[in-house]
Amino acid sequence: MVRYLTIRLLQMFVLFLVFLTILFFLINAQPGDISAQFVGNPDIPPEAKQILRERLGLDQPLFAQYLFYIRNVLTLNLGVSFDHYPRTVADILLTALPRTLYLFGIATLLSYIVGFQTGKMVAWRRGSAAETGTMVTSIILYTVFYPWFAILMLWFFGSQLNWFPLGKFLTPAQWFDAPYTANQVFNTMLLSMFLAGAGVALVVWGTGKFVAEPVPRTRARRILFALIAISMLAFWLISPMSRYAADIAYHTVLPVTTLTLVFYAAITLLTRSSMLETLREDYIFTARAKGVPEKVIRDRHAARNAMLPVTTSFVLAIAFIIGGGIVTESIFSWPGLGLTLLNAVNVEDLPVAMGALAFIGLLALFAHLVADVLYAFLDPRIRVQG
Amino acid sequence: MTADRSMVAGKQEGEKPELDPGPILEVDHLIMNYRTKDGYVSAVQDVSFTIGRGESLGLVGESGCGKTSIAMSLMRLLPDNAEIQAGKIVLDGDNLLELSDEEMRRRRWNDIAMIFQGAMNSWNPVYRVGDQIREAIDLHWEEKPTVAVANARIAELFELVGLDPAMMDRYPHEFSGGMKQRAVIAMALSCDPKIIIADEPTTALDVIVQEQVLEELRSIQHEFGMSIIYISHDIAVIAEITDHLGVMYAGKLVEHGLTEDVFARPRHPYAWLLLSSTPSVTGPRLNLNPLEGEPPDLLHPPTGCRFHPRCPFATDQCAAEEPPMEEIEPGHLVACWNYEQVPEMKAESA
Ligand SMILES: Nc1ncnc2c1ncn2[C@@H]1O[C@H](COP(=O)(O)OP(=O)(O)OP(=O)(O)O)[C@@H](O)[C@H]1O
Ligand code: SF4
Ligand SMILES: [Mg+2]
Repeated sequence: MVRYLTIRLLQMFVLFLVFLTILFFLINAQPGDISAQFVGNPDIPPEAKQILRERLGLDQPLFAQYLFYIRNVLTLNLGVSFDHYPRTVADILLTALPRTLYLFGIATLLSYIVGFQTGKMVAWRRGSAAETGTMVTSIILYTVFYPWFAILMLWFFGSQLNWFPLGKFLTPAQWFDAPYTANQVFNTMLLSMFLAGAGVALVVWGTGKFVAEPVPRTRARRILFALIAISMLAFWLISPMSRYAADIAYHTVLPVTTLTLVFYAAITLLTRSSMLETLREDYIFTARAKGVPEKVIRDRHAARNAMLPVTTSFVLAIAFIIGGGIVTESIFSWPGLGLTLLNAVNVEDLPVAMGALAFIGLLALFAHLVADVLYAFLDPRIRVQG
Repeated sequence: MTADRSMVAGKQEGEKPELDPGPILEVDHLIMNYRTKDGYVSAVQDVSFTIGRGESLGLVGESGCGKTSIAMSLMRLLPDNAEIQAGKIVLDGDNLLELSDEEMRRRRWNDIAMIFQGAMNSWNPVYRVGDQIREAIDLHWEEKPTVAVANARIAELFELVGLDPAMMDRYPHEFSGGMKQRAVIAMALSCDPKIIIADEPTTALDVIVQEQVLEELRSIQHEFGMSIIYISHDIAVIAEITDHLGVMYAGKLVEHGLTEDVFARPRHPYAWLLLSSTPSVTGPRLNLNPLEGEPPDLLHPPTGCRFHPRCPFATDQCAAEEPPMEEIEPGHLVACWNYEQVPEMKAESA
């Protein structure tokens, strides 16, 4: 596993360099000189222009510029925004990144969990009315033109029913005399979610390794899960941040739901077909012959194997997820990487745009890595060889 | 470990267990069809046989004659389009066809286990082989054992089938074909079933491994005193390891008796043709097809005796009337109008 991970990380690094190279030369292949874009910008004072020019090495030949660029990206030295001068690009992006991670993370996790369960049940009850209904809904959701669907959701739940705010990240009026910045609150939210997730993973791993008998293992897991849930709850009940966190959470409902629905449809369709495949395998027959109860066959034997192609598909779906993410962010004015990129492109804020693209590339590679590790974890055939 | 589980330790190798009176399995006029869009496929037509405790029965017949269909009927694991029209399957006194699904589920593996035709893929790739055997043990042992006790039992079984007990912690893809098949045998033994059905358990293996696995299977069967149904289209293999033999043709059992009787004097023309094309039990196996004509179409099976279109002894009666299963000598049954005309076996040199 360690070897596998090392190889994967190295591959990832090389891929990232390739990505940066392509990015750099694509941007440079555009007509016009980069320097011309900000030399003519009256908002930037001349000293800053000179610093930028030197930092970007714009007075150097193209190849030297390229090396400069790579070095700058790898040291997170992404320059200063044209549009938000004098904020650095790194600062802008590091603020936006957690918001994107949050949106993608929750939507992906939710859609995978719920979509997998739905796909599993639907395949199991093949031919039922529930199957037909789910299939029709999923196919519609999956094939619908996504930006239109997002606007529809916003119009219906935001504008017509008035249940949810019309986009944005928070309600400014409530934050007037807030003792925290939005980022502090939001990062605490993210951190607590991450800790809870890590705790659950740790419990599953630890009990699996150290408690051999299944009955005490299940009991230990339940107790520890409950402990995690209680401590999370206690923290947010006591914390004075919770009022502000609630406001942010309220703003996230609609974009997260919209994005989740579309991923969910895809996962449901995928799981169903994968599950129908596994149900035909010989080992399912073996399980029946062994007298394994039907529900256990469904969950422990069929669904567990149906998970493998669904996990693989995650890698293939990353482009789709990122595209969907950018659209979602712009329609719901969600200040993440996607919206940052879009705004930067609109105002020709080149350093921010290039930085955002680099970050998105990194994010895609990272998602890839997560899927790979998960796959290796799920499939012993990979795990052992690696 | 409970006493009744430790049969392995107590018995001397090669010693035949005491046989209880009364058959362990009785199949009585079983009729099973597959519903298809073109009509019914008559896969098992009025098949009856019994197996005594500790006995072994071989079922032979060409591909598609319904061997697997019988096995699946016994396990009650038929596909959705299969319909058991009539008959009884009495296992140790209980008619399996009358049990509820839940009761049948509890019987599977506990009373009647199976070694599959496609055993190479019968392991779930994501679980350790030992854990998959333990799943059966946990389900069926009267008292669910601790992991340690179950593992000790699995280790014992692994040794019995010639596998390194350390292999139980490995995944299926780390096993060779022969090892997987041995592990399947170990799993079949894990709950001390009364009867094991082995459906072509060695077809996917190379010849040397086949021999070894068969040999082990036979010695284990003797040791445990369980009954076994051994299905194959390779009659030479069957002859080596079974004491009773059933010959099937087109969904029907056409001849049934002690293996040595059927071998020495096959009375059904199909069995006779089959055996005379097998030069010697121990010699090289020539899988010649001795039959002329088309294999039967079970959607529209021939009238009367299903073998009549291909039978060298056929008469007008054969095409019109179905021959009943008749006991022509003690324990030797044949379904043929003209069995008396079937000559003695040809010389070994044929
Ligand atoms: N699910 C099914 N639906 C329709 N017909 C079937 C089905 N399964 C088997 N059959 C048909 O039933 C007949 C008996 O099949 P079965 O598998 O029992 O034969 P077999 O003797 O085991 O053959 P083999 O030696 O090839 O394994 C064949 O003609 C086959 O085509
Ligand atoms: S009954 Fe007639 S057709 Fe059938 S096997 Fe006997 S002789 Fe041949
Ligand atoms: Mg078969």
